[in-house]
Amino acid sequence: MKGHVFFIAIAMIMLTGCFDRIELEQQSYVIAVGIDKTEEEGQYNYTYQIANPAVGSAAVQSGPNEPPAEIVTVKGSDILGATNTANSFVSKKITLDHTKIIVISEELARSKDFLGIIQSGSRTPQIRRGVELVVSKESASDFINNNQPIMEQRPHKYYQFMLSRAKQTGIIPNATLHRFFQITEGDADLFLGIYATTMQSDQKDNGEQDQYIAGEIPQRGGSPTQFMGSAVFKEGQMIDTLTGEETRFSHILDKTMDMKDFLATMPDPVKPDFRITYDYSQKQSPQIDFTYHKNKPSTIKVEIPFQIEVIAIPSLVDYSQNRKGRQKLRKAIIQRFEEKTSAFIEQSQTQYRSDPFYWSLYARPHFKNIKAYEKADWHKKIYPNAEVSVTYKMDKLEFGKMINDSKINEVRD
Amino acid sequence: MQNQGFLQTKEIFAIVLMLVAIKAADSTPSLFAQKAQNGFWLIPIVSFVVIFPSFLLMIYLLKRFRDKNLMELIESILGKTIGKLISIIIFLFAFSTLTLDSRNYVEQIKVLYFPESPTIFIFFIFIGVSFFGAKKGIEVIGYTSWIALPIIKISFFTLIWLVLGSMVYERIFPIFGSGLPVILSEGVKKAAIFAELFFLLIAYKAAKEEAMFRKGAVVASIIAFLEIIAFYFIYITVFDYNSVEKIAFPFHDIAQYVQFGQFFTNIETLFMVFWLFAAYLKFIVFLYLIAWMFGTIFHIKNFEPLLLPLAYLVIIAGLLPFNSIYNEFVLRENLLMIMSPFFILLPFMLWFIALWKGELKR
Repeated sequence: MKGHVFFIAIAMIMLTGCFDRIELEQQSYVIAVGIDKTEEEGQYNYTYQIANPAVGSAAVQSGPNEPPAEIVTVKGSDILGATNTANSFVSKKITLDHTKIIVISEELARSKDFLGIIQSGSRTPQIRRGVELVVSKESASDFINNNQPIMEQRPHKYYQFMLSRAKQTGIIPNATLHRFFQITEGDADLFLGIYATTMQSDQKDNGEQDQYIAGEIPQRGGSPTQFMGSAVFKEGQMIDTLTGEETRFSHILDKTMDMKDFLATMPDPVKPDFRITYDYSQKQSPQIDFTYHKNKPSTIKVEIPFQIEVIAIPSLVDYSQNRKGRQKLRKAIIQRFEEKTSAFIEQSQTQYRSDPFYWSLYARPHFKNIKAYEKADWHKKIYPNAEVSVTYKMDKLEFGKMINDSKINEVRD
Repeated sequence: MQNQGFLQTKEIFAIVLMLVAIKAADSTPSLFAQKAQNGFWLIPIVSFVVIFPSFLLMIYLLKRFRDKNLMELIESILGKTIGKLISIIIFLFAFSTLTLDSRNYVEQIKVLYFPESPTIFIFFIFIGVSFFGAKKGIEVIGYTSWIALPIIKISFFTLIWLVLGSMVYERIFPIFGSGLPVILSEGVKKAAIFAELFFLLIAYKAAKEEAMFRKGAVVASIIAFLEIIAFYFIYITVFDYNSVEKIAFPFHDIAQYVQFGQFFTNIETLFMVFWLFAAYLKFIVFLYLIAWMFGTIFHIKNFEPLLLPLAYLVIIAGLLPFNSIYNEFVLRENLLMIMSPFFILLPFMLWFIALWKGELKR
């Protein structure tokens, strides 16, 4: 008898652990959430891309022609509430733990309601701070529906690889929810969201690489989705877009963003009809020297150490062994970078009246408490009036594994 | 009492560290951040500077009076009636701290990991496990703490290591947050975050030699303090001031945020297990200490049977607050503010009286 009572007591204690038990196969994992405006105030369309775990796994034989993901759209007032509505036609419990991206239509991002919606999303522990914010040119549900990756069909891997590679090359920003809240709540600086689209309407062919925003890249074949450039958010509301190149400058100037290296071209300084391709990499974060002046414009001195590896010289000018040519090339590269960066900074000062480089960090040590810092007002007073000077410092100029190009005169002898 | 004089410096060290250092990983930081914004990581420094001399003085008194624990000391200095009264106040403080803290931990577990389970069930399991641990006696507790210590610390430092890349040191500026006066006054008002150090003195005679206890407790309290500072510094450099105010459980938020390379994402459960382990040990120690206090006050030599009713009381009292925010930001804050002056001043008062009575000359 005693044994029975003991057994029951133990079972009662042990089994309380099963309150939150849920089998893996009873859950559907959402990888991407899309949010769109509707005609009604306070109601939004939520699109969930739900991964099919059976596809792409070596262990499980997938059913015949099962798609890699299921996409559903429902109307609701917040991100979690809508999951319950979606359960009227999704068979399993919708779980947001593995969400990789939140897609917002540009229309919604530009409206005032955006901050409220995204705030309510972060209240639940299911949405992680590492989720990335993507702004789509079209509606978010169109974006998710049109996005048909060809090689990497598993949606979670697709987004992970796509975004991490594009970030390494600097054409899209690091746009986690974590960063969004820091910058928006900090009430200084601009937040950059990832800009993407599946519509390739107005393709531009300007010869210069990376001066595109998503949708403008001339492309044949492949997946229709382009991730390029960034959406600029000021105080939680989208105000503009940046091209891939401008996004890259934000990467260069911001020490909190990581960029590996990128390839770019520039006119050949000796034969301007040709273009030189080079690989830019930055091993150290930029040195930013901020001096605060209370009554006159503050000064910001930026020094950026960088390295260049020249990859292609179609003009066949001998730069590698000719000292003068080398110096000319060096000067041309530095000048080009400095000009472009200064122009971009000036644009941000006059047009946005704030910076996408997180430079308010450097202003903070000049204040003793937050009250004084907030009173000095980064957005309105410090940054738009600051005098910014940019210098690039080239640490290395490499020429790849070839010492010299073949002499065209001798070849065509 | 199952005390065979087994505990040595290292076990005492582990117990103190368990009891105090986990403050780095609960919701105390958000309590501070409400007031001091990004200067909040300086508050424990002020608190420690204010309360540590009192703690050392208390240890000195215990050393001089020899062979007495906290409550016996108070009684022998202040006489039976007043001594008992002060002891009961200390017991009530300890009990309230335990109750509010346990509710806080239960809420953390519920909100983050077991959203569907009712609070009362989690509470029963949590305190139930702590009760079984405490029932084993101080020696087993000490030894368990010592064994668990490296695992827990390794997991915590792994988390620090993983989050290092997301830290931006400039975020500690403006250095004083909402202002130096706020930090100083909050530091003094909330000095009682180290009140556990005083509760611990009830176990003064637990170690093999008294010197071992003194050494273990002092060293551990300094290390616990450094650990708290390190974690608070991480919170502010990872989250920045406007966000950290809004985050109720920064430790878990960081655990959710980090990933171990590209393949191992969503690894917070790994850290949660060790955190839970540390939390259990804290409450095991705490429960045992309050039973010990109660036993000393009312001269119950064999106080271990008291653990069960006290544990039950903790659950019942812990369920009373309406929600976790009220529990943390109203009740716990008030309790800290009441306890702080008490623990800062008590040792000095005892010392003066002992000096005046001439008891220290012996």
